[in-house]
Amino acid sequence: MRESAFRFGRAGHLIGIAGVPASPCDAVGVIVLNAGLVHRVGPFRMHVDLTRRLNTIGYPTLRFDLSTIGDSGATGESQTRNQQICADVEDAMALLHQQAGCQRFVLVGLCSGADKAHTAARDPHSHEKISGAVFLDGFAYRTLGFKLRHYLPRALDPRRWWRRLARQLNAGGVQENPVFAVAPLPQDVVSADLTSMVKRGLKLCFVYTGGINMYFNHQRQFRECFGPVMADPAVSSRYLEAIDHTYALTGDRQRLVDHIDGWLRHNFPIVHAGASS
Amino acid sequence: MTRVDNELPFFFGHDHELFGIHHAASHPGGRAVLLCAPLGQDYIRCHRLYRQLAVALAAEGHSTLRFDYYGCGDSAGDSDEVDWHRCLADTVVAANELRARSGADQVLAFGARLGGSLALAAASAANFDDVVVWDPIIDGQAHAATLDALQDAMRQDTKRFVRPRASEEAAGQWLGFPVNTLLRQQIAGLRAGWSAVPSLLLDSLASAKASDWRELAIRDAHVAPIEPATPWDELSHLETAILCHPLVHAVVAHWREHAYA
Repeated sequence: MRESAFRFGRAGHLIGIAGVPASPCDAVGVIVLNAGLVHRVGPFRMHVDLTRRLNTIGYPTLRFDLSTIGDSGATGESQTRNQQICADVEDAMALLHQQAGCQRFVLVGLCSGADKAHTAARDPHSHEKISGAVFLDGFAYRTLGFKLRHYLPRALDPRRWWRRLARQLNAGGVQENPVFAVAPLPQDVVSADLTSMVKRGLKLCFVYTGGINMYFNHQRQFRECFGPVMADPAVSSRYLEAIDHTYALTGDRQRLVDHIDGWLRHNFPIVHAGASS
Repeated sequence: MTRVDNELPFFFGHDHELFGIHHAASHPGGRAVLLCAPLGQDYIRCHRLYRQLAVALAAEGHSTLRFDYYGCGDSAGDSDEVDWHRCLADTVVAANELRARSGADQVLAFGARLGGSLALAAASAANFDDVVVWDPIIDGQAHAATLDALQDAMRQDTKRFVRPRASEEAAGQWLGFPVNTLLRQQIAGLRAGWSAVPSLLLDSLASAKASDWRELAIRDAHVAPIEPATPWDELSHLETAILCHPLVHAVVAHWREHAYA
């Protein structure tokens, strides 16, 4: 395996590290998108651990910074953020095709990275290049099931009522700081997008954690959020309640890397050059 | 910060194990700057600031190199392979790489936290002409104790985990990164006493006084406070980027105003 550093993209504005396995094969290329504003190495260097593991088992990879994040600059183009993301992913796929010959790709994203992977995959023509996506703590919605699981135990616990009252008294009318955030896509739109992705042949892997338990708290919630598409054989979903949002413990990161490794091998097995089919 | 035309990412050193980004100077002069990164989560949190500083220094005419030690960032090696002496050796390699790329006569160094300690410890071997540091670690024992306490608090933090995690699940780690036994010993054994003396120490520790830095043999007049205080060791800010425009301004202004023979 060798890693190489690149400045690439339509305006030479993107910075990334491509990892190309030693033996040539026909594997999908795996592209890892920024988690929030953390640069391409990922939270606690998770993206480095993941891409190097995938390289050792034969998958070419690219971890890179999207426009204006990490070490990447801007193009100067007049585009929406979503248009930029799609164009950056196109540039990333072109680089990995050039370096490793990949024709098909899997996108991996954590948190806002999952949203970006969704943005790229929801394009009606994405299946021409994108074969799958790994969504880590991506879109989720407070369903009726979530509310019952979340609020019912609290409503029945008098200690929680007491603590809530004490907090309100202590707060003394202090205003919370304003938060600037991008409104997520509506639930029905995301559900329709996922259904479309599966119909177009994409394989999807969802891994959600207890780190987002303020709006997601059970394995069943995948189906509650996104409907019957979650039962499709092309979709894998897993809820890891004990783990935090950014996998701060090394054992948790190892578990995630093992899971993605297994999912890729199962859905996109590597056929080495010269192997009989 | 929109163009990256003068920023070149590359691997260098033995077996091309080290990753760096060279910021070519807009009008090359006789000086170049090596940015020595901190370790662990401080490295992640400071990444953007180091880039901003590199861009500002390059605009001033200082060819600047950011790089990752072995086992850190995009460089080769696993996170549990970080070794203090290897970091020092990598700093020397990076300084030589910068000299070769820039053609500069003088190489200056900047480092934050353990990056500052590394810059001072490597100054002689790397032949730095000057060192500027920001909140360097000069008491390794206290730093290790702080990181141990933060790690223990993190595993029990119910804002992060649904339930506190067992101590064995968090053992051998500092705030998201594995720490091998040797590195722990090396950091716990750190004491100021390096021969190099920084020409400027930027202090953004809320509790520190200029006199606290005397172990570095630095004169009080060369210690400059930076405000607001940087929340280095606050668990609630563990994943918050550290941005500090006064720091960038202070470093650029210092090297604009001072020449080193």
